[in-house]
Amino acid sequence: MSQTSLAIINARLIDPASGFDGPGGVLVEDGVIAQFGTEIDLNAADEVIDAKGRILAPALIDLRAAKEPALTPDGETLSTLTAGAAKGGYGTVVLAPNLRAPLDKADGFDGMTRGFGRYGVRVLSACGATRGLDGQTMSEIGLMVRGGAVYAGQGDHPIADALTMRRLLAYTSQFDVWLSVRPADTSLSAGTVALESDWSARMGLPAEPAISERIAIERDAALAELTGGKLMIDRLSTEAGLKALRHARRSDLEIAATTAVAHLTLNEVDGGALDSAFRMDPPLRAESDRLALVAALADGELDAIVTDHRPTPFDDKGEPFALAIPGTMGLETALGALLALVHDGEIELIDLLRALTCGPADLLGLPQGRIKVGAPGDLVLIDGDQPWVCKPDAFESARGNSAWAGRRFQGRVLQTFVGGVTVYNSKV
Amino acid sequence: MTRAEFSYDFPHRHLISVADLNPVDIQIIFERAAHWKALNRTTNRSSDHLAGLTVLNLFFEASTRTQGSFEIAAKRLGADVVNFAIEHSSAKKGESLSDTARTLAAMRPDIMVVRHSATGAPQFLAERTGLSVVNAGDGMHEHPTQALLDSFTLAQHWGEVGGHRILIVGDILHSRVARSNIGLLNILGAEIRLCAPPTLLPPDVDQWGCEVFNDLDEALKGCDAVMALRQQKERMSGGFVPSAREFFHLFGLTHERLEACSPDVLVMHPGPMNRGTEIHTKLADDPEKSVILEQVESGVAVRMAVLELIGDVIRREDAS
Repeated sequence: MSQTSLAIINARLIDPASGFDGPGGVLVEDGVIAQFGTEIDLNAADEVIDAKGRILAPALIDLRAAKEPALTPDGETLSTLTAGAAKGGYGTVVLAPNLRAPLDKADGFDGMTRGFGRYGVRVLSACGATRGLDGQTMSEIGLMVRGGAVYAGQGDHPIADALTMRRLLAYTSQFDVWLSVRPADTSLSAGTVALESDWSARMGLPAEPAISERIAIERDAALAELTGGKLMIDRLSTEAGLKALRHARRSDLEIAATTAVAHLTLNEVDGGALDSAFRMDPPLRAESDRLALVAALADGELDAIVTDHRPTPFDDKGEPFALAIPGTMGLETALGALLALVHDGEIELIDLLRALTCGPADLLGLPQGRIKVGAPGDLVLIDGDQPWVCKPDAFESARGNSAWAGRRFQGRVLQTFVGGVTVYNSKV
Repeated sequence: MTRAEFSYDFPHRHLISVADLNPVDIQIIFERAAHWKALNRTTNRSSDHLAGLTVLNLFFEASTRTQGSFEIAAKRLGADVVNFAIEHSSAKKGESLSDTARTLAAMRPDIMVVRHSATGAPQFLAERTGLSVVNAGDGMHEHPTQALLDSFTLAQHWGEVGGHRILIVGDILHSRVARSNIGLLNILGAEIRLCAPPTLLPPDVDQWGCEVFNDLDEALKGCDAVMALRQQKERMSGGFVPSAREFFHLFGLTHERLEACSPDVLVMHPGPMNRGTEIHTKLADDPEKSVILEQVESGVAVRMAVLELIGDVIRREDAS
């Protein structure tokens, strides 16, 4: 099929980058947006889709999905990961380092990123900031940035040592890439599996006080100011952490913050029955934290929502809560889970989509994530009301650990386009 | 009250948390435990109550006392008892707890007695296997039979536990015994006091239905019973407390200090004791005050009661 132009008309067009939310359509020619608005020249289009008033927005962008090691025989592959991403409305996915796939080797890095071209969804990769994510020994960040790494990350591993953090921020500043680190004071967080709270104390779970996050953000922001490095707060999750972020932003420094779908939509009570599906890193927080995050998102204080998509080897995680592997899969369910915030009146749709589109795009300097003439034709068509039930058996991936298993969602992706090409169509 | 007055059958096929029990359940357990305790003192102490049922003692953490107590209890009831010390087998081979659970369930036991270092492991095994599970201690979470035997011991002295003032002193933070006791004593209507240095207290513990003290002499005033908790040696050397010596000076139980309590105060300890750290050796051995060995005796009786009642539920389910 040599489709060269596609028009989508009669949509509710939402472009968070320009703040537009109203009726309209888009014409994509040769992979880029050629026209948008209410006056689309249909004569120029090879194919016309009537959106019938449904939502048309830039395709979503995820800055944090875990890749399984390349040689996991029964695991998730990049093919199934990207198929799930497309189904979830994502046009761009950034692979982030984790302990199983630390992405810390410069050898073969650019070969790996060049190989990403074969997937319909745009795949990018971050690199591990330290070797094996040990938090001590710098990896060859410069070579990996040349090989295509879009930021340097640390997985779930905070940097314990202030001197190492200082050097990492200073070193990465020369490449103008973000250093993404989970904010946790390791002396307070090591070995913990839950938020310090009435629930975790009664359950006798090793727990981390919320201020561990605040202490880490305060330290790292001060070091970013000292070094001129770009600090990305990886998965901010507490109200205390937000306070530290606000305080840091009063100074002249480059600081960004992401938050995870789980922390916007779940709280520690969801894990109250000690269901391993809700074992997360960072742990699920109090409802007051969740509400503070949603409010901060609405105010534009959080730059990006990440799925923190993480397949684990056993669907039931195989172990009780305290020993279970943290994390949940999230690419297919993120939008469904997040739209509940819109339906519940907690946030406006355009504010939610900002942190899923132009927010993350602007952090990495990507041209997509916006509806603008000349921008890539990465779009998603959403039925905001269609009900569905999250069934991990129906995931594209071989894995099925999901914190939303069995949840009822309202709002579903109908079609995802990358460069004007359909990468997912719910009707097919 | 006796059981005939309720016409109520003990409904639980698991004992995971004391929070699952209501006062009537506890009354039934105590009644049966009293029966077994009396019988255990005769030479005619074996029964065939659980004959034909298999009890698996599944200990992922080393234990001699609790495991032995459960084993004696099950054997006196005529059950077939198998002990698995898992830390030496599958767990070391990297098998997940799900897989271990499925393997053991395939051997068709009836009741699993589980001790594990992680909160929630007994519940996890109950959910995965569908078998009856008795929690013999999970992480820092619960140790329900210990709490039951503690209250049973007190009930044997007092008739009712409710209305009495009971102090728990020592490392509350890391103690599953304390958590189960606080839960159970609240259900029974006792007045609970806790005493420990702030480093060994859980956050917001004052919201658990107890009064919290840092000063032992203050805490002991008017108490009817005092439970000392076992202090882990590694926590007594600078991390949580500067030294075992300092801990004993501030929080150790002695005859002199107990003068602030009610005259008939009972002294308890879940064992094994560190003499000279949490309790003065003379106090531990004082038959007037210490009921520590009675607790051990009660332990077998209470575990017999729990296994018997769960066995009855299993047989009732089987018949219907």
